Amino acid sequence: MTTISEHGDSTRPRAGQPAPHRAGHWAVEVHGLTKRFGARAAVDNVDLLVPRGFAFGYLGPNGAGKTTLIRALLGLTKADGGTMSLLGIPVPAHRGHALARVGAIVDEPRFHGHLTGRENLQILAAARGGNAGQQIGPALDRTRLTGRADDKVSAYSMGMRQRLGVAACLLADPQLLLLDEPMNGMDPAGMHEMRDMIRGLADEGRTVMLSSHLLDEVQRTCDQVAIVDHGKVIRQGPIEELTAGAGAAVEVQCSDPPAAARALGRPAFASRIAVTEDGLTVTLTGGPAREQADEISRRLVGAGISVYGLRQTHASLEDWFLAVTSRFGEEQ
Amino acid sequence: MTARSLAADRRTSWVPPLPLIGVKFLELRKRRILMIVTTLFTVALPVIWYAIRLIYHASDPAHYASAGEPDAFAAVGTVMDEFGFIIATVLGATAGTGDLTDGMFRHLVSTGRSRLALYLARIPAGLAILLSLAAAGFTVACLVTALAHSPLTVGEVTPSAGAMARSGLWLELDLVIGYTVGLGLGSLMGQRTIPVILLIVLEIIITPRVITAHLPHLINGQRLFVGVAMAQLKPAALAGGTVITPQGGVTAHLPPMPTWALITVVAGWIIGWSAIGAWKMITRDA
Repeated sequence: MTTISEHGDSTRPRAGQPAPHRAGHWAVEVHGLTKRFGARAAVDNVDLLVPRGFAFGYLGPNGAGKTTLIRALLGLTKADGGTMSLLGIPVPAHRGHALARVGAIVDEPRFHGHLTGRENLQILAAARGGNAGQQIGPALDRTRLTGRADDKVSAYSMGMRQRLGVAACLLADPQLLLLDEPMNGMDPAGMHEMRDMIRGLADEGRTVMLSSHLLDEVQRTCDQVAIVDHGKVIRQGPIEELTAGAGAAVEVQCSDPPAAARALGRPAFASRIAVTEDGLTVTLTGGPAREQADEISRRLVGAGISVYGLRQTHASLEDWFLAVTSRFGEEQ
Repeated sequence: MTARSLAADRRTSWVPPLPLIGVKFLELRKRRILMIVTTLFTVALPVIWYAIRLIYHASDPAHYASAGEPDAFAAVGTVMDEFGFIIATVLGATAGTGDLTDGMFRHLVSTGRSRLALYLARIPAGLAILLSLAAAGFTVACLVTALAHSPLTVGEVTPSAGAMARSGLWLELDLVIGYTVGLGLGSLMGQRTIPVILLIVLEIIITPRVITAHLPHLINGQRLFVGVAMAQLKPAALAGGTVITPQGGVTAHLPPMPTWALITVVAGWIIGWSAIGAWKMITRDA
């Protein structure tokens, strides 16, 4: 049995290391990308740089333009403006050459249901050419589908189809994987398995660009993240740096949480106030957390709210995401 | 240039490689119901037809003519032509839409393979299935006609080997038209049902009326119908009781067309619809 070659780039930066800014360093480079559907801009003048060798999360709410950007990168749809390159090769001008070492899952992975998993991979290997056919066995092994490879895909579960999608990506022995919502429709065990698989691919030095709206999965899987909202990339960088910049949160245990939220209003130091079962979670924008906790306490007591406890916590990716995207505004 | 970059460069070629044609052939061949229906109308139909005639003739030769009489050959050829054209459109439309409706189109485009090559691979793949089955069915008709004919009535002529070969080629050409038009229309519309309905209407309802209609002011419009051109190219052996021209064609009420015009119309339908389907394949959002 052969295995997928670990072509990995020996100079791959470790997770969290700052990316060196040199030509050809970027696995994905996008400048001013725009894609419109009628009057609506699904992708609006986006700049995006995905460093090689990282697991990179492309995070945004549904309808934010994540899939459209990936489709434009792959040449599945034509962009209205901007420049793109994959692994340093301009697309769509040299699309065939660029996609030689790129594997992709776009939306829900669907295959010919009347064919077996192996036959579907044979079709894709024939389309790829080269030695892709020799990668079918190792790809099936890697995705733990060997035992079901000769079953018809129509009998596969969603999780198995997602894994078959990953197997299809591996036919390219990819330096770059573009995975669009790869955990959609999976049960917790399947998500855990997929997460490990993605992490393993990144650890081999392959670049994984993971598009998702599942914040927790991105936080667990990725080293860096870009946040997209309404077709624009609004923040980008290592997760630790971004969430650190978002400030801490204060959990308040108090009487009458809705009244407490009204009493606090929208103070300048809070980016988000969430009502919980026994109180509030106030996400802070930054600055000295102790003084802000004092201010929260003063305002609540002044409004006649009983405060039972205050606890400072670190902001999660979810807190930060909701703070910087339009979802915050929608929830208020 | 490395082996990998050479492979990448080949992916941009519009010429489909043999393995790509092979897997498309596999994909179509594995559609069980489609293959059963195709086999039924191309092979089983003439086999059953002749089997019944052979049994009838064997049981009562005085009342039932031999299975190999020329009229039977013409009748089988006509039935194979009508049903064959319809099944060719179904197979073509399936080949034109299968990747799209099954969700494989994105995977295929994401490999970097030329979209035109992906489209062109469908033509030999589907025709290899269709034409081989039709050839098998037609061979049965030829064998029975050659081996099971009885003394002919006055005026009847047993089709020669050349006439049978011409008939077979004409039949195969008709299937090529049905397949490529179905493929192109299916690719254009992105779905199978409506193209198949439209082509059945064309074959069963419109074409027979256009062939028999007298439309002096629209005669050039009539000439653009592929069915009109194919009717004029139809070999005498398949023509049955219709009047045979000195060139071997039939002239029922057809607007006269020179040979170059007939070939142009047929080629135009094949190439034109293939081009339309390929254009849509190249420009379609995946």
